[in-house]
Amino acid sequence: MDDGKNRAMPLDGNAEGGLLRELFAPEMTAAEITCDGCGAVAAVGAINVYGTAMGAVFRCALCDTVVLRLTHTPAGLFLDMRGARRLFVASSEL
Amino acid sequence: MTAIELAVAAPAPKRLQWMTATVREVIEETSRVRSLVIDVPGWSGHRAGQHVDVRLTGEDGYQAQRSYSIASAPETPDLVITVERIIEGEVSPYLAGEVRPGDRFELRGPIGGYFVWTVPLDGHLFLVAGGSGIAPLMAMLRHRAAANSDTPATLLYSSRTAEDIIYRAELERLDWQVGTKVVHTLTRMQPAGWSGFSRRIDRAMLEATCFPVVVRPRIFVCGPTPLVEVAARALRDIGHSQNLIKTERFGPTGGSYG
Repeated sequence: MDDGKNRAMPLDGNAEGGLLRELFAPEMTAAEITCDGCGAVAAVGAINVYGTAMGAVFRCALCDTVVLRLTHTPAGLFLDMRGARRLFVASSEL
Repeated sequence: MTAIELAVAAPAPKRLQWMTATVREVIEETSRVRSLVIDVPGWSGHRAGQHVDVRLTGEDGYQAQRSYSIASAPETPDLVITVERIIEGEVSPYLAGEVRPGDRFELRGPIGGYFVWTVPLDGHLFLVAGGSGIAPLMAMLRHRAAANSDTPATLLYSSRTAEDIIYRAELERLDWQVGTKVVHTLTRMQPAGWSGFSRRIDRAMLEATCFPVVVRPRIFVCGPTPLVEVAARALRDIGHSQNLIKTERFGPTGGSYG
């Protein structure tokens, strides 16, 4: 099974801050994401990210649940957030 | 002040756009590393620790994109990125090799709100760098110096050999400033009479160089993935809070995304 994890060692979420800004107006690496798998709360910039040719897969650093998946296709940009319970952006970033 | 004036004073963030960067100057840092001073019309300024995405487009339309940390202080008008040449990379052989003043490429940024340090955060600052991972930490040290901050700061910097130390002369000058300490470790070869460390970064080295746990230093670690993971784990084992340790992994090859 290739779920984007086997390609390489992960980088930190901040490495894909630019990709997130293709969709979100605020700076997103400082935003807090709550993992739906284990409930851990972490900065998006601090969780594991696996970059792929088509986008990126963000995983919880504690339980490895996929919390964010961004995929570029010829048709457009897909955002899959099934593994995230909540995304919090501080008012200072809005 | 009316609501309309407030809105003008604090514009809402916009989605990132690709901009055209023009190389103004190329600085040879080491045999494999160059700094590029670039002009980006409409640049909005940055914070120390942020990066930019660079996109190159071939004649056939093929595009390659990589991220590079900003090495310059927010206080200086020059925007500087530092690029290490990765032999099999797609972008760095051009940026750290063939590029000439006047060349243009696409760039977007600044990016990042997590791996960022600004003077008002205050507190002790402990920086750990491996190879070209020094770049965003250099932006923090330059920012600290430009703002005349008296925040105590220590940099632990791992390089292969003395010739591979990036910003070497500037780091020597910084080491003389009050409150700043620069500690080197050379992992592959050491010059005669070397007084620094001579091994990979480990727990004992971090204990010897980092501020005590009780002063709650803000810690930034940047470099190749193995170095970052070893250092971050050791710092947690020593007792530093996970919340105060921020990392930026460059990937398994030791290159900044190639």
